[in-house]
Amino acid sequence: MLTRRRFTQLAAASSASLALPRNVAAQMTMPGAPSPESAPPIPPNAPPADFTLTIAPYTLDASPKHHIQTIAYNGQVPGPLLRLKQGRTVTVDIHNQSPDPDLVHWHGLFLPPAIDGAAEEGSPLIAPGASTRISFIPDPAGFRWFHTHTFAGNDLRKGQFSGRHGFLLIDPSDTAAQPDFDRELFLALHDWGGQMVPSADGSAMPMYDFSTINGHVLGFGEPLRVKQGERVLLHVLNSSPTEVHWIAIAGHTFQVIALDGNSLPQPRTAPMLRLAPAERVSAIVEMNAPGVWVLGEVRKHLQAAGLGTVVEYASSTGAPKWIQPSDLVWNYAQFAPSANSSASAVFDATVTEIPLTFDSHFEGHGNGERWRINGRSYPDTESPILHTGSRYRLVMKNLSTDDHPIHLHRHIFDVTSVGGATMRGLFKDVVLIPAQATSTVEFVADHPGNTLFHCHQQDHMDRGFMMVFRYA
Amino acid sequence: MPDRRTTVRSTALAILFLAAAAHAHAQGNYEIQVYGADTVAPKNLMVELHSNFTPEGQKYIIDGVYPTNHQEHETIELTEGLNDWSELGFYIFTSWQDGHGVQWVGDHIRPRVRVPDSWHWPIGVSLSTEIGYQRAVYSPDTWTWEIRPIVDKTVGRWYFAVNPALERTFHGPDVAQGIGFAPGAKIGFDITKAVNVGFEYYADYGRITSPDTLHNQQQQIFAVTDLNVSPKWEINIGVGIGPTAATDHLIIKGILGRRFDWGHHSPVD
Repeated sequence: MLTRRRFTQLAAASSASLALPRNVAAQMTMPGAPSPESAPPIPPNAPPADFTLTIAPYTLDASPKHHIQTIAYNGQVPGPLLRLKQGRTVTVDIHNQSPDPDLVHWHGLFLPPAIDGAAEEGSPLIAPGASTRISFIPDPAGFRWFHTHTFAGNDLRKGQFSGRHGFLLIDPSDTAAQPDFDRELFLALHDWGGQMVPSADGSAMPMYDFSTINGHVLGFGEPLRVKQGERVLLHVLNSSPTEVHWIAIAGHTFQVIALDGNSLPQPRTAPMLRLAPAERVSAIVEMNAPGVWVLGEVRKHLQAAGLGTVVEYASSTGAPKWIQPSDLVWNYAQFAPSANSSASAVFDATVTEIPLTFDSHFEGHGNGERWRINGRSYPDTESPILHTGSRYRLVMKNLSTDDHPIHLHRHIFDVTSVGGATMRGLFKDVVLIPAQATSTVEFVADHPGNTLFHCHQQDHMDRGFMMVFRYA
Repeated sequence: MPDRRTTVRSTALAILFLAAAAHAHAQGNYEIQVYGADTVAPKNLMVELHSNFTPEGQKYIIDGVYPTNHQEHETIELTEGLNDWSELGFYIFTSWQDGHGVQWVGDHIRPRVRVPDSWHWPIGVSLSTEIGYQRAVYSPDTWTWEIRPIVDKTVGRWYFAVNPALERTFHGPDVAQGIGFAPGAKIGFDITKAVNVGFEYYADYGRITSPDTLHNQQQQIFAVTDLNVSPKWEINIGVGIGPTAATDHLIIKGILGRRFDWGHHSPVD
């Protein structure tokens, strides 16, 4: 088991950081991983930044009976919406007023490793009480997000278990590419009060006390107020540290227009949305059923745990209504322009295959498993070498009994098969890889620098489910 | 369950001593188990068969109680989960022995509550209480009551559990004895995901206000293994020795449990 003492021992053996005490830096990264350097301070007399993020303790009042002491951005959960313009340089000042070193990961952007926000790639940590400034060119356009990328280990209040997540919308430089809608709403799904409990398959896994949308349990917080005839664009983010969520709006359907911020060639109608941790869905809902409705988790026990909000039409009153679906419906292939592609189309000889096998090593019923990629856990995992401009296919054989939301930093997947269903033209930065099946994604190595690949379940990445691709 | 006081006496001297002993002679070993703090899930029924054989035990009839030597005890335990933090158990105790055939021994009922997960306690804690009847030829104390605090903790591959049980007789010779102390404890280690090995300890110290001498206390140590082959099945086997004169000297035990989920489940539950 990885204890805090063990972390410190391992940190003491690793290379020194520039300003952070070694053991402090190591607390926020994987044991055994190289200690990251500290972030440079904001230059004196620097002009005001475009945006400021302040990382600080915060008490979330999700309802009169649900309170969580956490760490948040700018004193709110979720953090602020940062709306940027594709290609227009932006500066962000980050002040860390939390007790631990931290960094901000800009999920889905093509940023250099130094500011991508992952210590495993070489991004520097911001020491407690310190500030730093980053500057970058937002790209690509679409619905992205930002969040902490630190180690939680056995403390299920840290890392992504906390409130450190926020919406990031990159408006396209080509305004003609904007979809037709009347207004936008942003929703973040999150789970709180985690603790490790034994699971049916033998190892401990996180369970939660309650769940929220935009920081409130169902029935509390402001409803989503809409008007009849409006086309509302919902940007839904699953910021949960570990849980997949299914979302529906009673009496309405979704026209899905983008997954993980990447536009679909044609909108697809869906009765519900499935979002693995870190996934996003952008969908238009035509408000054509006046009333007061529940937008919430399809699964009863999770809606009962609070994951929901109220959609209220103008001039409508009464208790919110919920129409319980009888099944869970979602399939990546339905959103791909070309589903059931022929094998010859999918298996292109110019693509370099990288076989990856996911499994776990039992560490006792009181621990989570130790996760492995090709038989090794981070920081001992392989580091495949990529060549700029080359196309790669990750052939992921998931031997475990868990589904894994796989994420590759700074690149976008072209999803080619998931659990046996082949497809073409579905672009994502997180893909839920089903258990005990083989799935494939492709990507072009066009953003040189260290690139982190990991399962986006916080407890899995903390227990070794990471590897770093390096460029030649 | 019937208390685990086996009060083995293998010599005539011991029989004479027993006549003056504080405790009435009672059989035990119908359910040999250290409880964990978890409870059966709601809409689930756990059916367990406890099979215990005494190769070397009490060989004489004492106080009208049958000897335990070469006795086979079969106990059916039915436990229904009531909600996320409580369950209700029911026991049917039987005994088989050469010359006596298969005999019904008694029945107990056992409600149990536990600290819910949402309280985030660092240890598992539950409280069980058990009341029931057993025939006088197997236990002179025919109506008994037990309250059993249960504390357990899993740390990595290690598992620890303590059951400091308190017992009280409502009807029988020991009714004036007050409260007895009969703790149990377990330590286990995960060899693999499926195999846990360890030791279980059972004792009866006698009255809590006036413990028996070590010679008259019941002390048993079992080497056990738990096989976690499936979430639906519970398998525990062990061999125990009783080093004190008041204990059956050798016992073989086994627990075979099957969990039945009778709730209706849909993907959206």
